[in-house]
Amino acid sequence: MAEMVKLFVNGQEVEVEAGKNLIDALQVVGIEIPHFCYHPALGADGNCRMCLVGIEDGRPPLVPACKTPAQPGMKVLLEDEKIKKIQRDIMELELINHPVDCPVCDQAGECTLQDYYMSYSQQDSRMNVEQVHKDKRLDFGCGVVHDQERCVLCARCVRFTRQITKTGELGIVNRSDQARVTIFPGRPLANRYALNIVDICPVGAMTSKDFRFRQRVWFLQKDPGICHGCSTGCNIYIDHHREKYGDDVIYRFRARTNLQVNGYFICDAGRLSYKTENENRQDRTLVDGVEVPLERGIEAALDKLNRARKPLMLVSPDSTLEQLWAIKRIATLYGAVLSGYSDAYVLAGDGDDYLISDDKAANRAGLQLLDIDSGKESFAAALADADLLVNFNNDLFFSPGNEDLQEALEATDQVSVCSHDRPAFSRATVILPCASYSEYGGSIVNRNNVLQRFARAVCRDADPCDIIEITRLLGGAISDNARAWPGLRQSVPALSRIWPERIPVEGVTLNSSEETHVGA
Amino acid sequence: MEVKILSARFDIENANRIDVARQHGAYQTLDTLFAMEQADVIETVKASGLRGRGGAGFPTGVKWGFLPKDTGKPVYLAVNADESEPATFKDRYILVRDPHALIEGIIICSYAIGCHDSYIYIRGEYTSQVKILQQAIDEAYAEGYLGDRVAGRNFRLDVTVHRGAGAYVCGEETALLESIEGKKGQPRSKPPFPAVVGLFGCPTIINNVQSIASLPFIITNGADAYKAYGTEKSCGTHLFGISGHVEKPGMYELPLGLPLAEVIETVAGGVWKGRRLKGVIPGGSSTPVLTPDEVATVTLDYESMAAHKTMFGSGGIVVLDETVDMVKLVENLIAFYHHESCGQCTPCREGLGWMLKIVRRLLAGEGTVADIKLLRELCDNIEMKTVCVLSAACTMPVRSYLDKFRDEFEAYAIDGAPEQTELREG
Repeated sequence: MAEMVKLFVNGQEVEVEAGKNLIDALQVVGIEIPHFCYHPALGADGNCRMCLVGIEDGRPPLVPACKTPAQPGMKVLLEDEKIKKIQRDIMELELINHPVDCPVCDQAGECTLQDYYMSYSQQDSRMNVEQVHKDKRLDFGCGVVHDQERCVLCARCVRFTRQITKTGELGIVNRSDQARVTIFPGRPLANRYALNIVDICPVGAMTSKDFRFRQRVWFLQKDPGICHGCSTGCNIYIDHHREKYGDDVIYRFRARTNLQVNGYFICDAGRLSYKTENENRQDRTLVDGVEVPLERGIEAALDKLNRARKPLMLVSPDSTLEQLWAIKRIATLYGAVLSGYSDAYVLAGDGDDYLISDDKAANRAGLQLLDIDSGKESFAAALADADLLVNFNNDLFFSPGNEDLQEALEATDQVSVCSHDRPAFSRATVILPCASYSEYGGSIVNRNNVLQRFARAVCRDADPCDIIEITRLLGGAISDNARAWPGLRQSVPALSRIWPERIPVEGVTLNSSEETHVGA
Repeated sequence: MEVKILSARFDIENANRIDVARQHGAYQTLDTLFAMEQADVIETVKASGLRGRGGAGFPTGVKWGFLPKDTGKPVYLAVNADESEPATFKDRYILVRDPHALIEGIIICSYAIGCHDSYIYIRGEYTSQVKILQQAIDEAYAEGYLGDRVAGRNFRLDVTVHRGAGAYVCGEETALLESIEGKKGQPRSKPPFPAVVGLFGCPTIINNVQSIASLPFIITNGADAYKAYGTEKSCGTHLFGISGHVEKPGMYELPLGLPLAEVIETVAGGVWKGRRLKGVIPGGSSTPVLTPDEVATVTLDYESMAAHKTMFGSGGIVVLDETVDMVKLVENLIAFYHHESCGQCTPCREGLGWMLKIVRRLLAGEGTVADIKLLRELCDNIEMKTVCVLSAACTMPVRSYLDKFRDEFEAYAIDGAPEQTELREG
């Protein structure tokens, strides 16, 4: 527990963490200090002057909250006419050269300027002279588009490229009201995290080429999720929306703060992986290439399973612990060999020392926890021996390297339970569509053994079944996530004291079988 | 009235050369200096009452005393030769006419504070001046006054000249440090103060050229000799650059505390062409203007200026005669500070540009009385809300013109741009 100090805000005593700056310290107790330039990941810069607060008996009496640590006995003034006037004055100065083009601005609805105007300003414009004009629609690279006129020069983006990616593509050139954010000529943004700039920009100055003009943000339903782009398990918001007469479509992923996992940011590849959730989906049930109702597909799969002498079941390293458990159970039921072979999900050398992992599987640690054999040799041997392969959404051709298995795969009858229409699944005689990760919930374990839980976000018209439901239809006993847990607790020592509904939002690190427990 | 302490060698031909300077007393303090304890040097400077000559007037010896002891880090001295305040040209005289006084002062200060690497940050526009300064430094190295063994003593001191790129704000001490470090010249938030965290994160003292050049006299002659000049709280002498509408503009070294009116009349020859006085900018463009009534009572020292709600500033006195159009003057003033705003803080970045446009609206005859009110209000809204005082350097004088010469602004608002009067000259 951090050391706490007592101080006063508007005369009222509050207890906050010692040493934290006033913005962060007071936010915890529900007191907002407005600010543009301060960002917890980037530290204090002190340029926007919006967070100026009064300190009674203080020297100086007026300080930027972002640079002022909480100290015992401090008397902070916020609800003070002098401070409120300063906030109004700063807002006026922020806005005099701002285009106020909210109706065509993507940031509208989640814009700090808009929000603060309502909370701290609400004054009519007194600007009766020509505004400063700067450049618009600047392509900064990596899908980031900049509007210099909307910019409040908070330098969050500049500091991001200097402190976080350490690539330093952005800078502020010129002085006074001619100051502007720009790139070196011919040297655009070139890093794998650039789109975070769009997230951290407090106004509409930095927009995403991918998202801009596609949806008004107030229509978006913003559900928490976990990125399945790699084994880091970054926390995201899944922003989706069902247009009238349209399907539920994901418009973007955004970073969701989790200091234990990803901090404040996500990589661009993960951010743009929302497209995979919308596109190329396997929504039809196919038996020998003919579309049939799901029940008929299940019947055909059951028929094959019942007749198979040596079935082999292949699970995906993206599947949740609950899904893996359910599949493991029906593998036992049918006497099937179970494999988690998924070398194709590992792109050696693609990862970095920050958020991107080589391993593109979201729950490989889970696969290991459940003791599912993932070796290539054992899989190849089982495949050669098998008369039926039931593939639960494992994309064997996610990356090159499995061409040598092609022959054996072609020789084996296959049932594919898959969320996407991909070559790895299309050869199957029975294809059963299943939900993808934005459409189901469950628990996964990341590369650092952090167990995280996520819930369903999207309800597409096709409404494909969760893999767990497919296993139930195939005769399994597990019908939902909750029913998987008694078994998981019993058979996996590391999970023996885990109750999924009590896993904190930031996840829980699985240390050893004895120590890890939540909510006990 | 004039005295010759700082300016003792100003009129000697080639005093910028070390031979000539030495013949006239340069570097003769060093024997005295190295016989003193470091702490005694600081005490002597404290006792002399020397105050920072950059404009703020903070006691120099007290500033040195802020250095933390035994940090294990090097201590730096940065000499501020960024003389950028409009109407100020005193440091230029020292740099060109007596650079060895500055170097000798740097040796004194460095010895006192334990600094072995000193920087002279000189404004980029001083192109010929920097050559003279560098030549003097090279000579000092050649003669053993700088380098591994200063004047044969076991004391190393290196002096590096760092040229600015032409930004007023780099005269602000923390922007100056940023600039030396190779960054964009933008002031830092304080605290921490440079004495604790300064150049390259180390304890640093930043002193003005004239402050440093005053040191040889103080060490040679003692604190009391220096205190013999000036007033009780404004000790010593100061270089005053008197410009504007006077008969004899120029650089004059005067003891502090003289009546301003008398100085204008007797030293600078009075308002030129027999015209009447309209106002005086007492110490560089950022100091609030004085009306003739105020000029009659103010004396040239920190206390009297403060009592007249202005500042002593940098010794750059500008005399304004009756033909000066104060609205145009304010336009010129805001244009300068707007151009020089580093653009970091919102109020200064956005506000000064707005103020400039409002004044230009008035000048174009399109302004209203409401605009004057807005301009006055903006002065209050911007001032002291920023990291540094550049915005205040603009708003403080602008407020003074608005308050003291309101009728001229209202004339523009009510009558439009006035006819050219006969008196006005280009």
